[in-house]
Amino acid sequence: MKIVASRNEAPGVKTLKLEFQDPADHELFKQNYRTGMFGLYGVYGEGESTFCVASPETRKEYIECTFRRSGRVTSALANSDIGDLITFRGPYGNRFPLEEFYGKNLVFISGGIALPPTRSVIWSCLDQREKFGKITIVYGARSVADLVYKHELEEWEKRDDVDLVLTVDPGGESPDWKHKVGFVPTILEEAAPSPGNCIAVLCGPPIMIKFTLISLKKLGFEEQNVYTTLENRMKCGVGKCGRCNVGSVYICKEGPVFTAAEVSKMPQADL
Amino acid sequence: MTRILSSDKLDNCVARWRKAGNKVFGPVKKETTSSYAAVESAAEFDLGLILPDRSVKELFFPQTEPMMRYSIKKQAIDTEDFQPPIEKRIIFGVRPCDASGLAIDDPLFGWDYKDDFWFKRRNNSVIITIACTKSDDFCMCTSLKLAPDSTKGADVMLRPLQNGKGWQVEELTDRGREAVKEIADLLQDSAEPTAPNAMVPEKFNLDACVAWLRNPENFESSFWKEISMRCIGCGSCTFLCPTCHCFDFQDEGDTYNGIRRKNWDSCSFALFTMHTSGHNPRSTQSARWRQRIMHKFNYFPGKFNVNSCSGCGRCSRQCPVDMGITETLQAISTLQP
Repeated sequence: MKIVASRNEAPGVKTLKLEFQDPADHELFKQNYRTGMFGLYGVYGEGESTFCVASPETRKEYIECTFRRSGRVTSALANSDIGDLITFRGPYGNRFPLEEFYGKNLVFISGGIALPPTRSVIWSCLDQREKFGKITIVYGARSVADLVYKHELEEWEKRDDVDLVLTVDPGGESPDWKHKVGFVPTILEEAAPSPGNCIAVLCGPPIMIKFTLISLKKLGFEEQNVYTTLENRMKCGVGKCGRCNVGSVYICKEGPVFTAAEVSKMPQADL
Repeated sequence: MTRILSSDKLDNCVARWRKAGNKVFGPVKKETTSSYAAVESAAEFDLGLILPDRSVKELFFPQTEPMMRYSIKKQAIDTEDFQPPIEKRIIFGVRPCDASGLAIDDPLFGWDYKDDFWFKRRNNSVIITIACTKSDDFCMCTSLKLAPDSTKGADVMLRPLQNGKGWQVEELTDRGREAVKEIADLLQDSAEPTAPNAMVPEKFNLDACVAWLRNPENFESSFWKEISMRCIGCGSCTFLCPTCHCFDFQDEGDTYNGIRRKNWDSCSFALFTMHTSGHNPRSTQSARWRQRIMHKFNYFPGKFNVNSCSGCGRCSRQCPVDMGITETLQAISTLQP
């Protein structure tokens, strides 16, 4: 894949826009990719890393991936320039069943670097806006600087068919911050989206997921109406290398998208 | 009267198989370790071993294996896939537990993406199993509902004769028949009885253990912490295991030229599941040991309907701190389900 654009989202967080080099590969991607799926992005000599496809299923001319520079592979990816070639294996895994969301209200809840997988679903819905009811997005990060996709947040804020609730952790606000201050679960409870005819899509670090699930329960959301994506460390993507399973569930094959009802059946200690 | 292969003809067989284009492997003892290795003559075999230190797994799923080569010049990347070897192989003297291990892993390498490296080797290899007449304190095939003369995964079964001078020959598959055909004139008819199987006492009640493991309440039992306290996370058990199949990909080389390899990895290692963020789903040694036991006797059979253990006992035999599957399941079988 060729890097055709890159953007710094937040300190250490970068988005790469990638175009297929082989039309046959692109054709396969177009046939198979649905929102929620993931891929293995790599740089030869460094290795591969797993993250979601951050671009929506309604825009398949390219792939966008957003990642935090933290290890060997992500550093190599972050150091790549426009025009450089990187590798992509995928798309793997299951998807968010958008058809089942038709006609329903949607609440997207996301924290920090977990906005990219949520954003793929958000744009997939916004690109066919008429098929869904009310759309609410609750997004929080540690600090104002750590919010990713800042230009898209502005765009969503301006739209009158999207309710955007932004928050930063206490102490992370800047002097001119006009949005909320507080942790995502608390802010979600304040925003109190109605659970009736509503699907919640939840992505975040494990600790945020844990507490947000409690808040969603308090708000009256039923477990089968809450979707999340579990992204464990993976190497193969095809159910063999043995590390991504939680209990008997292989995240790479049966996931990464699960309902909270499915997650609650998994051994919680291994999440 | 049955057909037998007499020990003194074995070298002729090896020569015959080699001449027919096969590479011949068998149990070989080197200075510090024993394994299934390539031989040129039967003299190199050590058929007295209860079982080699290393399992036959490595002949199908090597410890390290190049998958592809890359070379980068300016804006072009050249890649070349390594092809799985297609040499014909005869693997002689495989123990029934090792042969079973291969059959156990077949569905794993075959689901979703079919692993060519595994199956090309499987399809080009003839497994000649010798039933066990000797065992040691660690052997536990019978506890896994297998036996010292189990034919699972074998193409040909050899049963040692009572006089110790050869084996009764039984072909089990087409591949096995083909290999025996090449040495048919070296076989003879004999009424010599076969030696009794090794005595392998049952060490634990597998069904009771599985029932305990399947009870979700036991997932967070303090049992796991206690039993795995000794584990030093060295990974020996997983590397010696005939069914453990976890691996890692690593690039070996520099920015411009190199090889992507598939290497053995182990669920015993803390880094195995560590996220980039630092979060680790299996952050303690007890969680990792629980994963290994659960995977073998709960998750794997849930997917493929077979336990991922053939009872070779290597994990206990060669554990530096004397804990393994046997000790764990023995302890579990004393617990209330």
